[in-house]
Amino acid sequence: MLKNQAAPYPTSSQPQRRRQISDRTLSQLFIWPTLILLIAINIVPLFYSLFLSFTNFSAIANKPAEFVGFANFTRIFNDEDIWGYFALTGRYALISVGLQTVIGFGLALLLRKKFRGSGILTTLILIPMMLSPVVVGLFWKLMFNPSYGIFNYLIGLTNPATAPDWLANSQTALWAVIIVDVWMWSPFVMLLCLSGLSAIPDYLYEAAAIDRASPWFQFWRITLPQVAPLLLIAVLFRTIEAFKAFDLVMGLTGGGPGDATQMISVEIYSQAFLGQFRTGRASALAYVVLVIIIAVSNVYIRTLNKVREG
Amino acid sequence: MKQTRVFTLLAILCLLVSVNLVGAQDGITELTILWAEWDPANYLQQIGNEYEAETGIKVNVIQEPWGSFYDRMAVEWAAQGDAYDMVVGDSQWIGQAVEQGHYLDLTDFMVSNGIDKTVTPATLQYYGEYPAGSGKYYAYPTEGDAVGWAYRKDLFEDPQNMADFEAKYGYPLAPPETWAQLRDIAEFLTRPDEGIYGVGVYTQKDYDGMVMGFQNVFFSWGADWFRDGQVLGVVNSPEAVEALEFYKGLYQFAPPGTGNAFFAEMNDVFISGQAAMIMNYFAFFPALINPGVNPYAEVTGFFPGPKGPNGDQFVSLGGQGLSVISYISPERQEASKEFIKWFAQEEVQKRWAAVGGYTCNINVLESEEFLTNTPYNAAFADSMTFVKDFWNIPQFGELLEPAQTYLTGYVVGGEGTAQEAMDNIAEAHQEILVDAGVIDG
Amino acid sequence: MAAQSPAAPRLPVNFSTRVDEVSSRARLARFIRVVVVIAVAIIMLIPVTWMTLTAFKSRPDAVAVPPKIFFQPTLEGFVSLLTDRRQLTTEQIAEEQKRTDLTWIDQLALSRGQVITGPSDYPQRLLNSIIVAGVSTVFSVGLGLLSAYSFSRFSIAGAGDLLFFILSTRMLPPVVVTIPLFLMYRALGIYDTHFGLILLYTVFNLSFSVWLLKGFIDEIPREYEEAALVDGYTRLQAFRKIVLPQSLTGIAATTVFCLIFAWNEYAFALMLSADRARTAPPSIPSVLGTGGIESAAIAAGSLGFLIPVVIVTFALRKYLLRGVTFGAIRQ
Repeated sequence: MLKNQAAPYPTSSQPQRRRQISDRTLSQLFIWPTLILLIAINIVPLFYSLFLSFTNFSAIANKPAEFVGFANFTRIFNDEDIWGYFALTGRYALISVGLQTVIGFGLALLLRKKFRGSGILTTLILIPMMLSPVVVGLFWKLMFNPSYGIFNYLIGLTNPATAPDWLANSQTALWAVIIVDVWMWSPFVMLLCLSGLSAIPDYLYEAAAIDRASPWFQFWRITLPQVAPLLLIAVLFRTIEAFKAFDLVMGLTGGGPGDATQMISVEIYSQAFLGQFRTGRASALAYVVLVIIIAVSNVYIRTLNKVREG
Repeated sequence: MKQTRVFTLLAILCLLVSVNLVGAQDGITELTILWAEWDPANYLQQIGNEYEAETGIKVNVIQEPWGSFYDRMAVEWAAQGDAYDMVVGDSQWIGQAVEQGHYLDLTDFMVSNGIDKTVTPATLQYYGEYPAGSGKYYAYPTEGDAVGWAYRKDLFEDPQNMADFEAKYGYPLAPPETWAQLRDIAEFLTRPDEGIYGVGVYTQKDYDGMVMGFQNVFFSWGADWFRDGQVLGVVNSPEAVEALEFYKGLYQFAPPGTGNAFFAEMNDVFISGQAAMIMNYFAFFPALINPGVNPYAEVTGFFPGPKGPNGDQFVSLGGQGLSVISYISPERQEASKEFIKWFAQEEVQKRWAAVGGYTCNINVLESEEFLTNTPYNAAFADSMTFVKDFWNIPQFGELLEPAQTYLTGYVVGGEGTAQEAMDNIAEAHQEILVDAGVIDG
Repeated sequence: MAAQSPAAPRLPVNFSTRVDEVSSRARLARFIRVVVVIAVAIIMLIPVTWMTLTAFKSRPDAVAVPPKIFFQPTLEGFVSLLTDRRQLTTEQIAEEQKRTDLTWIDQLALSRGQVITGPSDYPQRLLNSIIVAGVSTVFSVGLGLLSAYSFSRFSIAGAGDLLFFILSTRMLPPVVVTIPLFLMYRALGIYDTHFGLILLYTVFNLSFSVWLLKGFIDEIPREYEEAALVDGYTRLQAFRKIVLPQSLTGIAATTVFCLIFAWNEYAFALMLSADRARTAPPSIPSVLGTGGIESAAIAAGSLGFLIPVVIVTFALRKYLLRGVTFGAIRQ
C-alpha cells in the first residue's frame, strides 16, 4: 500500500507549510456531518411529531394545528381496541421471535461444524432475509391462496374446497403472518448465533472432553452461556422489528380480516394515512410505541449485561 | 490513483442525479392528469395523445395504484402543490376538495359552454356537483361507473342445470332479478368438486372494497348510512343487519381465496373458471370479453344489480369526474379548461367510448352504437339510473375505516354477529359525524 | 465470547481429545445433520423457486388449479412487466392479426388480445433504485467511517451518550417521522427527488454503519498509527494510509448491509416519492396488468429486483458473517 505514496517520510518542511489540524478539530470535523444529518432528518421530525401529538392536526385539513393537551393520549389509553392491538402485537412478537430463536439457533448448531458445501448452504438459507418485505408479502399471498397457491398442497391439503384459507380467517391469519415472518427472519437469528458459536474457544470443549462431560452438559454449560449474549441481541432486534412490523402485514392481510392482524404499526399507519389522516392522534400513538420499545430494549440490555457478567 | 477514480465515479453519479432533478417546465406545453392505475387511465392517455396531435400540448396521465391514490392526492392538496393540473378524482372526494378549496369552481365554465347539458343528470350530480342540489359544479363527469355483474352463460344455459335448478327452486334458471334469486343460483352452482363456486363478492379491507360490495345489498334492502339527521338506528336498522347477514351468506358461496378481494381478484376468479357469477365495476369488464385474457369470453354474459326484498334496486357508484386543481397558475387553469372543453365534445366522447372509456355524454350513451358496442353496455346504461354512493363529505375517509374493519371482521373473519358489526359501525359513525358537526350529538 | 477472553490459551492440539470423534454414531449424527440442513435450505428456497417458476408462466397457468409445476414456459410475464398495453376489441384484434410487420413481442401481446402502447416505467424504477441505493450507501459508509474512526480513536466528551443517541435513531417506528419528513421535504422542494431519498437512506443507514465500523476500527491496533504519527505523518495521512486499508473488510460488510436496507426500503419510498424518483419496491405490487392480477408480471418484476441482491449476497457472503460478528459483539 505504501509503495505508491510519494514519500513515507515527509520532508521536515511539510508540517510548517501546512497547518497541522489538531486531533480535536479533526474529530469534530469527522463527527459533526453525521450528527447534523441525524439531527436534521431524525431528531427534528421527532420533535415535530412530539409537538403534533398534542394537537388535533391533520395533514390534509389545511388548518393550522390546534393544541389539545393530552386528549390524544387519554383517548389512546381509554381505547380498548388499541390495547387489543398492543396485546396482539405482543403475542405476535412472542410467538414469532420465539420460533425464530429456536429454529435459528438449531440451524446454527447444525451448521457450526463445517462440512462439504456448508458454506453454500448457509448462504442459500440466508436468502430470505435479503428480500424486500413487500415482495415477500406479495409472494406468500399468492402461495397461501387456497386454490392456486402452493402452500396448502405442500403441507398435504390438496382439496381446495376444504383446505384452510389462511389469510381470510381470523383464527389463522395471524399464524400465516407468523409463518412468513419466521421464514424470513430465522436466518438472521442463525447468522448471529453462528458468529457467536464460531467465537467459542475450542479449549473449553477440550477441557470438558477431558472431564468426560456429556454432550448435554457441554451444551448447557458451555455452548448456551457462550452464545447467550448474541442470542439475546438477536431476540432484541427481532422484538423491536416485530413492534415495527408493517410492510409485511400490509402486503399479506392489510390488517384484516376485520382487525385480526391489526398490529400496532399497521394501526398507526391507518390512523396516519389510509384516508383518515389523524396526524395528531397517530403521532401520539407512535410515541407510546416508541416508549414501549425503549423500555423493552432497556430490560433486555440489562438482562444482557447480567448474562455477560455472570 | 484509485481515489481519483472513486471521486470521478462519485462526480458522475452526482451529475446523473442533478440531471434528473432538473425537470423541464417552460410554458404550457404539457398537462398532467393524476388518475388511478387501471385500464381507463390508459384509455385516457390515448385520448390525450390525440389532443397532443391536434394542439401540440402533451397530455401526461400519471397513474397511482388505487391503494394509495387518495393518500397521494390528499397530501398534494395539503401542500397546495401544483404537481398535477387535473385529477380524475373519486366521487367521494368532492366534498373535501370543495370545502377545502382544492378544486377550481367550474360552474361558469361548464354552464356558459353548455357542457352541463351534455352529460346525464345523475352523473353530473354525483361526479360534478357539491353540495348536492346547489348547482355548483367542480368536475366534468369523465368515467361513469357502477357495480355490475358478469356470469357464465354456459353454466346458466346448460340443459341439465336448467332442469335441475327448476326442479329444486321452482323457477327457471336465468340471470337473477332479485337478490334472493341470485343467492339461490349461487348456492346451486357452488360445486367444490368441480372447482366452481357460485358468486364472487368484494371483501377487500384497505380503501373501500368491502363497502362498495356490501352497499349493493345494503341499499337494496332499503337501508342507508344516514336518514332524517340520524345515524344511530339507521345504520344498524333491522334491514341493515339483515342485509349484512345476507351478504355473508353470499360469501359462503365465494371461491376460496377471495377473503381480501376487490376488482382484480374478481376478474381473476372468473377468468380461472372458479366463479359462476362475479360482481365488478363495469370498468373491469373489457378484459372479460377479450378471448386472449378470458377463456370463457364467448360465454360471458352481464346483468345489472338485482332488486331487494321490497323491490328497491340500487348499485354502488364508482367512477370519477375530471377536476382542475386550484393551486396551478391561471395560465395552466385556462389550458386545463381548454382540454376539458375539447374532451367534452360529442365527437371526442364518442372516441372516448370507443377506446373503452365510460362516457357520461347523454347522446353517446343513448346511441344504438354505444348500447350494442359491447355485451355489457346495455346493463351499464341501465345501472347508471339507479346508482347510490357512500358519504362524500370531507370525513368520508374516517367513516370508511370503521365500516371496512367491522364488515370484513364479520363477513370474512366470522367475528361476532351482524347486529354487533352494524352497531359498532353506527357508533363509530355517530362519533365521527358529531365531532365533525355534521349531526347533533 | 472471544471478546471477553482475548488472551485465552490456545493450545495446539495434535490429537483428538474428543472420544466420540470417529465413532459410527458420530458419522450417523453428521449424516443426519447434513440431511436436515439440506432439507431446511430447500424449504427456505421454495418461495423463491415458486416465484421464479411463476415468472415464466402464462396467465392461465399461473392461476391453474391445482398449481402447475410443469408447464410451457413463456416470456409473457416479462413482456407485461416491461410494456404498457391496452385491450383491443374483437374487430381490432382481427385487424391487427392481418398485419405482417409485428415483432414477436407484439404477437405475444396480441395473443392476449392486447396491443403494446409503449414501454412501462419499470426500467426507470429499477434505475432509480440503483441510483438511490448506490449513492446513499457510498455516503453512509463514508460518513460512518469518519465518525467511527473518531469515536474509536479520540476521547470525545459524552461519547457513550452520543453513541447511544446514534443507535436510538434506529428504534423509531418509521411512521413517526414520515409525516413531519413529508412536510419538511415539501417545504424544501426535495419531495420526489433522488436527492431526497438518498439523503434519507444515508441517514437511516448512518447509525448502523457508525456502530458496525467502530467495531472494526477498534480491532485495528493503535500502535500502527502511532508509529506513523511519530514518523511525521499527519493524522489524516495516517487515517488514509493505515486505517483505511486495514478496515476494508469492515467497509465491505457495512456496504452489504446498507445496500440491502436501501434497496429493499418501502414505506419511505412510498410516501416521499411519486413519479420521478420512485424506486422499485413500491411499484412492484402495482404491476397490476390489464383487467386483473398478472401474477407472472409481478413475479418477473420481483425476480428482476431480487437478482441484484442475491448476486451481492453471494459475492460478499464471507463479509456478512464477519459484519455481524463485529457489529453485534460490540453493542
